[in-house]
Amino acid sequence: MSKLHAVEDPTDWLNTSLSCFEPLEAALRCQVCKEFYDTPMITTCSHTFCSLCIRRCFNSDGKCPTCRTSDQADKLRRNWVVQELVDTFKAARPAALKLAQTKAGSEDDEAERPKRKRKLEDTDIEEDSFEDTRRPRRTRRSRSVAHGTSQEEPIELDDSGDGDYDPEEGTTLCPICKSRMKVGLVYAHLDLCDGKPVNNNGATRARTQPSKPKEPLPPAARLPQLNYSLLKDNALKKKLQDLGIAAHGSRALIIRRHTEWVNLWNSNCDSSRPRTKRELLRELDSWERSQGAGASTVPSAVMKKDFDGEGWAASNKDQFDELIANARRNRARKEAKTEEREEKPNEDQIDSMPTHQPEQAPSISTPVRHDEIPNPYEGNEKALSIVREKVDEANSHGRRLRSSGQPIPAPPRDEERPGSINEGPPLDEEVDANPPISSQQPSSQFVPISPNVDMSRKAHMFRLPEDPIIDTDGGTSVS
Amino acid sequence: MANPASKRLFKEYRGLSSDPPEGITAGPVTEDDMFLWEALIQGPEGTPFEGGIFPAELKFPKDYPLAPPTMRFTCEMWHPNVYQNGTVCISILHPPGDDPNHYEHASERWSPIQSVEKILISVMSMLAEPNDESPANVDAARMWRERRKEYERIVRGNVRKGLGL
Repeated sequence: MSKLHAVEDPTDWLNTSLSCFEPLEAALRCQVCKEFYDTPMITTCSHTFCSLCIRRCFNSDGKCPTCRTSDQADKLRRNWVVQELVDTFKAARPAALKLAQTKAGSEDDEAERPKRKRKLEDTDIEEDSFEDTRRPRRTRRSRSVAHGTSQEEPIELDDSGDGDYDPEEGTTLCPICKSRMKVGLVYAHLDLCDGKPVNNNGATRARTQPSKPKEPLPPAARLPQLNYSLLKDNALKKKLQDLGIAAHGSRALIIRRHTEWVNLWNSNCDSSRPRTKRELLRELDSWERSQGAGASTVPSAVMKKDFDGEGWAASNKDQFDELIANARRNRARKEAKTEEREEKPNEDQIDSMPTHQPEQAPSISTPVRHDEIPNPYEGNEKALSIVREKVDEANSHGRRLRSSGQPIPAPPRDEERPGSINEGPPLDEEVDANPPISSQQPSSQFVPISPNVDMSRKAHMFRLPEDPIIDTDGGTSVS
Repeated sequence: MANPASKRLFKEYRGLSSDPPEGITAGPVTEDDMFLWEALIQGPEGTPFEGGIFPAELKFPKDYPLAPPTMRFTCEMWHPNVYQNGTVCISILHPPGDDPNHYEHASERWSPIQSVEKILISVMSMLAEPNDESPANVDAARMWRERRKEYERIVRGNVRKGLGL
């Protein structure tokens, strides 16, 4: 089913025998959201909008969208008559539209149909060069086909006289309110269905009068608008928490979220069919995704359908070439190293044992963490030595007794490491000068192996993933 | 489709495709993204733009219709109210809050009850009747005022170029 024609629109009436219903339906729709009025409210300048729409507009610029008179949300009044008109029209619409389409279809001469008031000129140019932009435009016939599951095929309509017309053909029952409607309209109806049985064929005024909601009402008290400039961040956050809505994000976002919530809440208070707070929260959640915190992620141009891949490749050729060259260089270097390593694997292992610093053992498995967490005992030699002793003790019991061979030189190394990692290329000298440090340096793999470089057995576990990081560091410091 | 902006844009798309005003075609580039539209405007008859088809793109803000879209011609345009990069400068596209030019009436400017259709119709009439009070393209405005013949020649040249002639 085409998404486009699943939506009800006043233009449904065009090319039916009731094309005069188009302006009627348009008049029953809110000018801001183009939907049927939902909880219509009248302004002091006597213009009517959905409660939520007009509240949003007032928040945006404080003026009536139609006449630009300044007005305020708390001066809005309900417009029950319009609500009633909309409800009855909505109930009558499917049957009326079907009848109108049938009537139009049963007319013999298609040319007798009311001509569309406005028509695009069918110039050759347009036919030829802009064919695909015309795609969405369909005639009435293709539109009713697009309703998909509907059995109301246009051909059938053309052939069937009024006598053959079965009012229940191509219709189904709404599973909630049990009213009969066209198959294609069921989904749209389900969104609006409030469970009340609706009589499609002859809606009466009495039934569509505002009903008393069955659900426990949210307290009908409207929320006041806040003067945000008078509130400190914390007070504002507190307000949001008290209301039960999220209080994270920047101040601007919090203010927008609060404004939206007040709009949602107050328009719900206006409604004759109020929803629960849970539903309102869900609504706020979808607002959050489309306009709040979640909306800031603009899709990258690379993701666009018409992205010019070749143009991009050409304009960034320099960078791509450089990256490729770097990658080749790295690979060559690494292969050279691996060969070298393979020549003396046993030696490495043996070396690593005695020079291994026990208190550094944890950092082997979590090298990154170690770098990030500042050492709380830095500078406090006494505390450090106690810690080291403990660690040594644990390690020597738990793992290998040999490893506690040199506990004393450890402290300076531990403190030097974070600095030395950031230094990039100069590391080479440092590694040579101070071999044990390199034992936990992922970068040691780039250093030509010297016999005293300690290649811990675990080093190669994280060698691969660390490659690019090292390379970048090296590159920047060179340039 | 959850958010009001794309719902409303979808409605407008629906209306424009079922019942397009004469000389105007518009719709989203893809139905997945309602916030970027393409539009085609026919040059109004009796003007140097006659016979031309002018493609433009419309970008909608997330809080549409509270804020207006921006419109940019993607073809060459020599017109007092169109910037060199194709951006259209017309009062209906300006939010009522700010009036950098101090000449527009609030009633002419953007309001949530305006629509894509009204924008495109306004732009079409703008093509016919430039507003040279606050031109976006000063050279074009001066030429339009002082050397109308030359202005029309350039415009006709653009029309032909746009049609690939």
